[in-house]
Amino acid sequence: MDSTTPTNAAEAPKKEKKKPDNIVIPPKKPKLSKAERRELQERQRAAKAAAQTDGGGDAGKPKPPKIEKKEKTSTAPDESKRKLKEEVKKEDPTENETADEVVALFSHLPRPKPPIDIHSVSNPSIHPVITTLGHLYSTHTLLGGNTRCRAMLQTFALLLQSYEPPQTSRDYRHDLDHSLLKPAFQYWTAQCRPHSVSMGNAFSFLKLAVANLDRDLEWSEARQILLESTEAYVNERIEYAGKAVSRHAASKIQEGDVILVFGRSEVVNRLLLDAHRDGKKFRVIVVDSRPLLEGRDTLQILSRAGISCTYVLLNALSYLMMREVTKVFLGASALMSNGSVLSRVGTACVALLAQSNHIPVLVCCETYKICNRVQLESITGNELGDANDVACTDCERVGPSNRWSGEKEKKEEVLDDWKNQPNLKLLNLLYDLTPSDFVTGVVTEVGILPPTSVAVLLREMSPQENNDSAFKGTDY
Amino acid sequence: MTTPHPAITDLTTHLLTPQTKRIPLPVAAIRVLLSTIRRSRAETMMGLQAELREASDVMVDFAKRGGPVETTNDDGIKVTRYLLANRSHTALTSGTHLFLKYVTRASLETPDFTLCKSQVLERGTRFAEFSLAARDRIASTASNFIREGSTILTHGRSSVVEALLLRAATVEKKRFKVIVLEGRPDAGGAKSAKTYDAAGIPTVLILDSAMGYIAERTRIDMVLVGAEGVAENGGVVNKVGTFALGIVAKELGVPFYVAAESYKFTRMFPLNNADLPEVKSEEEDGAGLRLIKFLDTLSWSGDGGGKSSEAQDGSSNNSGSGGGLEKYLVDLPKSISVENPPCDFTPAKYITLLFTDLGVLTPSAVSDELIRLYQ
Repeated sequence: MDSTTPTNAAEAPKKEKKKPDNIVIPPKKPKLSKAERRELQERQRAAKAAAQTDGGGDAGKPKPPKIEKKEKTSTAPDESKRKLKEEVKKEDPTENETADEVVALFSHLPRPKPPIDIHSVSNPSIHPVITTLGHLYSTHTLLGGNTRCRAMLQTFALLLQSYEPPQTSRDYRHDLDHSLLKPAFQYWTAQCRPHSVSMGNAFSFLKLAVANLDRDLEWSEARQILLESTEAYVNERIEYAGKAVSRHAASKIQEGDVILVFGRSEVVNRLLLDAHRDGKKFRVIVVDSRPLLEGRDTLQILSRAGISCTYVLLNALSYLMMREVTKVFLGASALMSNGSVLSRVGTACVALLAQSNHIPVLVCCETYKICNRVQLESITGNELGDANDVACTDCERVGPSNRWSGEKEKKEEVLDDWKNQPNLKLLNLLYDLTPSDFVTGVVTEVGILPPTSVAVLLREMSPQENNDSAFKGTDY
Repeated sequence: MTTPHPAITDLTTHLLTPQTKRIPLPVAAIRVLLSTIRRSRAETMMGLQAELREASDVMVDFAKRGGPVETTNDDGIKVTRYLLANRSHTALTSGTHLFLKYVTRASLETPDFTLCKSQVLERGTRFAEFSLAARDRIASTASNFIREGSTILTHGRSSVVEALLLRAATVEKKRFKVIVLEGRPDAGGAKSAKTYDAAGIPTVLILDSAMGYIAERTRIDMVLVGAEGVAENGGVVNKVGTFALGIVAKELGVPFYVAAESYKFTRMFPLNNADLPEVKSEEEDGAGLRLIKFLDTLSWSGDGGGKSSEAQDGSSNNSGSGGGLEKYLVDLPKSISVENPPCDFTPAKYITLLFTDLGVLTPSAVSDELIRLYQ
């Protein structure tokens, strides 16, 4: 048995799995003459064009199915897994945009998936809460590292409460992982929206908690333990961490400060509200950018609390920086181990401009968002948004807070027919990377640290033997 | 007045006794804390910690006020001397905090308090000895950086820098030149210059404002300064003028080295000079006269002033007796305000390396050490 094409892999009987499925061994090519080769090329090109005009189909490479461990004991999870894989292939998201619409340099990045019609999902093994959350992710209703992570953990808590391990299972932890946790997470990441670092770290924590459960525990007890540890994680690493960040950052806010913030960050909002409640007098400049326009939510939150705010778009930044701003507080989606910050696109601009005007930049981030990757620029690891959001310049229609305001009458836009324009492509990136040179300090629940110390935190957070303090040099 | 806190008495004794006068202030404070432990009658760990914390706070407060001490001077008149006038207490704070952290860190295992207390005392004594020996350790590791024939620019009066340079000159017999900034208003640099000269090092003394010109003109090989405190972001708090020197050094491509003991590492994180905690600079003495005097020394020496060398004590440039100094003082009306900050903050980006008793560190390693200690 040699050549297996990807489309047949899933249907192939399980016992023939000698090679992993994602290695494609092409059949031996017959030797063709030049004319024959050209004819073959023409035919293939015509077929491809025909397939594209039909829309959908297998023109692109379908996603290779995941390597699954053999499950001898129960077949039901296998069935659902297979069905899930089929669904993943059928609704291949790469067909949402043709090759012409994607900017070549960013073609490796995950593209926006069309929101799945929740009424039409027929797969019984996917719990409706999973699809609901997925829908919220893909429509950008839930934005922000903390929000998405909390929602994910809440959904898992719900699922855990209704889950019962099958009777024939030898190890309930294995089943839990394979039939509940992994499929849900993969569904969200593959079908809805790539997961954030916060979600990834929380999911790793959950898997670790499952793996640490005692094998002989009763499921009801195990479930209780899992629910408690999930709740503890949210409480300690998100809620209390946020409060600690706010306390540390408060020492840096002085009377008369003009603080600049960008977009919407839960932690930054909290620390500003706390400082205002403590009676400090300062004012805030909220910088916003299209197409998400998250800054409007920040503006609303802060001004309702009585903080005097100014609102500008990103293009007014240089004027403000030179004149008025005394400090910049930024949020983060993730902290890389070399101290660089992955955050909403536009953050790097703000940091760069502040740095060149000698204005201190403080990035506020909880430690659970620290990622052990190193990223040097914004191209290798990023996410693409919907290009149509760039085309529509009507600020009343775009922006997540407006998505549910109903379909307003659509005005005529300059870029309405951008897809028909040759040589025109629209690019909508969601994240960018701020190098550590632009960051003065990182405010975490552990304290304010220089960006070079993020790697130290990573080292300290991983369990290791207690090494004694600074005075190791002498022999004690 | 009520009897002063025993910690204050101990500290004052330390500062006044000739043998212990040259011990750095933080080490003196640590010794005071050790005697507090010995003297303590607390029954629990928390009680002991509370006593130590109280003693530290009292000492820091004493230092902040300038350390006023009632003594009798040579004429038998009771005077108030300001022992720590115009010095930053950053090193004192960080030293005592670190001592507390270090000493109470490993004391959680033993249930028996007397055993615990002796352990604490032992650790504390080790810490004190380590800190006292820190200066020599720095001198030996860092002297490799001083090469034959090099020219070193230094600022302020740091005992660590002095120990370093003296060791390189006398023990390792290296030949190099030292350029010292005068160090207004306490003439600290001028006093250091005498020390270097006595050891046979060719020394050049310049005005503070000449640092840029001289640095570029004589092509210095490195700048070496001490520190009052080392902040978590790797920046240092030191005598005012260090920040400007750092910028000059960076512009000219000259390495900027800071020699500091590890007990000066502190958890503060100044974003810039505006973010430094307020240090009250004593502007006026008891009689309401300004402590800082502005003198046209050029005309004064042209007129024959300063011929007889007067032994000047203290750190403020008080109007001396004789030589007709008064008529060369620039008489400033009250409407002109004078600002005399004692220290400034040099950010990490201007610092090449730190010479510490833990080794030669980059500025980013300071936070690493602090995280490990405060974990």
